[in-house]
Amino acid sequence: MKWLLKIIDAARPTFEQGGKLQIFHPVFEALEHVFFAPSARTIRAPHIRDPLDVKRVMSMVIISAIPCALAALYFFGLRFIAMIVVTYAAGLAVEATFSIVRKESINEGFFVTGILFPLILPPNLPLWMVALGVAFGVFIGKELFGGTGRNIFNPALVGRCFLSLAYPKTMAASWVEASHELTGGLVTWISPSLDAVSGATPLALAKQGEMGSIAHQLMGSVSGSAGETSAILIILAGSFLLLTRVASWRTVVSMLGSFVILTAALIIGGAVDYPISGVLGPVVWHLFAGGLLFGAFYMATDPVTSPTTNAGKWLYGITIGSTTVLIRNFTGYVEGVTFAILLGNIVAPILDEIVVGIRIRRLRNEG
Amino acid sequence: MKFKGGYNILLKGRPASTVKAMPEPKSLYLPLYSERFNFTDIRVKDGQKVTGGDILATDPDNHTVPLLSPRSGTVHLKAIENHIVLEDVAHLKEHADIALKELQHVEHQMGAAGIKRYKLLSLGAWQFFYDAFTGVLPDPLGKPQAVIVSTLSLEPFLTRGDIQLHKRLLNFTRGLEHLQSLLEYQPIYMVMPDISSEFANLIRNQIRGYALVKMLEIPLKYPYDHFAILARRLNLKPKGGPVWAIRTEGVLAVDRALTLTKPCTVRIVPIGGIGVNMPTHMKVMPGYPIKKIKENYIFEPAARIINGGVLTGRILEDDTLGVDTECRGITVIKELEEREFLGFIRPGWSRHSYSNCYLSSMRKKFEEKYTTGERGELRPCISCNFCEEVCPAGIMPYLIHKYLYADLIEEVEQARVDLCVECGLCSYVCPSKIDLRTQFIEAKSLIAKEKEEIRQEQLRQEELQKQQEEARKLSEEKAE
Repeated sequence: MKWLLKIIDAARPTFEQGGKLQIFHPVFEALEHVFFAPSARTIRAPHIRDPLDVKRVMSMVIISAIPCALAALYFFGLRFIAMIVVTYAAGLAVEATFSIVRKESINEGFFVTGILFPLILPPNLPLWMVALGVAFGVFIGKELFGGTGRNIFNPALVGRCFLSLAYPKTMAASWVEASHELTGGLVTWISPSLDAVSGATPLALAKQGEMGSIAHQLMGSVSGSAGETSAILIILAGSFLLLTRVASWRTVVSMLGSFVILTAALIIGGAVDYPISGVLGPVVWHLFAGGLLFGAFYMATDPVTSPTTNAGKWLYGITIGSTTVLIRNFTGYVEGVTFAILLGNIVAPILDEIVVGIRIRRLRNEG
Repeated sequence: MKFKGGYNILLKGRPASTVKAMPEPKSLYLPLYSERFNFTDIRVKDGQKVTGGDILATDPDNHTVPLLSPRSGTVHLKAIENHIVLEDVAHLKEHADIALKELQHVEHQMGAAGIKRYKLLSLGAWQFFYDAFTGVLPDPLGKPQAVIVSTLSLEPFLTRGDIQLHKRLLNFTRGLEHLQSLLEYQPIYMVMPDISSEFANLIRNQIRGYALVKMLEIPLKYPYDHFAILARRLNLKPKGGPVWAIRTEGVLAVDRALTLTKPCTVRIVPIGGIGVNMPTHMKVMPGYPIKKIKENYIFEPAARIINGGVLTGRILEDDTLGVDTECRGITVIKELEEREFLGFIRPGWSRHSYSNCYLSSMRKKFEEKYTTGERGELRPCISCNFCEEVCPAGIMPYLIHKYLYADLIEEVEQARVDLCVECGLCSYVCPSKIDLRTQFIEAKSLIAKEKEEIRQEQLRQEELQKQQEEARKLSEEKAE
């Protein structure tokens, strides 16, 4: 790969201080560092560093999201590729503009947002709305706060929340029944409101008193956001994320645990009534329905927007899990994970503040 | 406090347990500085002939700790900047540079214990003592609340106690007895990896009745051997007075100074790391020419030579020509030269990571060939919490970093940056490549400086008040 390095080295002066394309230095730098690791050396102790960097962390998330993306492709057709392309194009434009203005390097955090955002959208959403959503999410949700590492809200969820509030009708009309054929939707192209049959999501049907089979939810052949339908894939790929320690198991366990416990308690207490009898059945059904699993493994675990302290993570997971139960059962909304996680993002700094306050008080008596 | 955090980095190039006596050098280059000391008070003249054990210079800021001449030879003061050069070095019979007159004076003033302390200081054994909380040289005449003796060196690659103790068990126990004789009733805590081992029992049997030693078992995890961590583990508080801490070499030096009344100048220095062809231990004296060590051991042309361990050591600059008096190890790592192609998506079978993001986490323990590369770009903190997990001091490095970023010095102080032991693990694990260790060291010195300024200001104010009062009194007297 020496030839590539030579090309990059030859192009470098153009982008550096005093070069013609100086303002595009962040773009050049980002491209360079995608191909070649930076040449920076440590200058003082510690003289060696762990190989892990933010690029690796982010690529772990992307790798773990690939099974879900493939499932989306399988169930909802080739259109999903277009959604990914549009997301990356629109989002990167915003990201690059901001880096150029700020003269900072482009942060790899966006690449995660870029793959997660189409996965949480209805598969038949008009492409211009995809672009608008991601641009809004990156701009308002992240860049205004100072970029990756300083954002309060998960940018992908901000974008989705914006879309569902601004275009509720289009969003609702963009659900598609997943392909039930053996070849899946691999050779089909659905397009907005023409040949597609608008399919209500399982949670919407449940509101009308109709609960589908758990097996379909497990496999993913149900209507829903592009990447959230296949419970089994999310659990497998999400476990990979937990094993690499990129995502915190504390958040996932507390969020899903509180969801299960609260739902079971509501059923036993008689506060809610489901068509499926028993306690375990409806609980598992709800666990697999909608974006709960996807949100738990991929969205809530975002290290930047979740609390940093371990105790804070437990509380944060419980907040999200129980809020989801309340929204799903007692409000007009059928799905509550987006709002619950955004609410969690709001309380995360407060939770951290409380935990840190206690720890600092304890530290005061040390030594 | 219980032990928490800590992490062992497995590095290729661990020194073998052999000790090699290096060939006698013709000239010695004694640096006038080391980690803690600055020998500014030169006691010899240019061209003067000295013998082994003579005091060449002292550090006036550190209880006049001396720089001893390790061998006999002729002094050259101005040949090389910041060094005392000894030419025509010969290994003659060394003697202690203690004037009898002065000794009598000391005995007269402070009694037998005073003499022992005086001997320790002037024979070069005192420089092995540390204050457990601050790491500085303790006052030789002070009264410690306890003494910590550690046989461990867990940072790669520093001299391990087991190598220094080889065939010197008797000297070690004798050193402990001498140590006890300096104390009144204060305990000696001895830190070992296994207190029920044969070795520990041997020591226990030997010192029975002569020294009161309490043994403490600690896990072999870096940096649990750090004196500040050990002091906190033993629930010793800075308020209770200083805690003396020494390592194996210190106990051996105490024995040599007090039993034989001979200067302690030769030390065992390990040389390790991947730039070394045969990682081993060397028996060298301060001032031993680095050039000779390089010729013998270092084969890598683009290598970084570190004075100390790989996590806390300092780069040995080219203008340092000899081993300094506090050298605890020489580590050589390869400088980063090649840039890796698409490094971040490689499986990483041969990479050692604190996280599990590489395939190597499915592998058994192995030693990695590290380079000095930063291995990533500087990014804002992503709150991964790794730094808190590895921190042995129980503080929250990411939080202090955020406070420092926002310039909230008071909050930094409240978050107890002063408990940081500068082990370097937070900087090592940080995926955003933030150099937390350096930031904390700077913050600590800033806070110390501010506190000192406040103290000075208070003193000035008090002085001013006194003066005013006196002036008032004077004027009142005059008026009368």
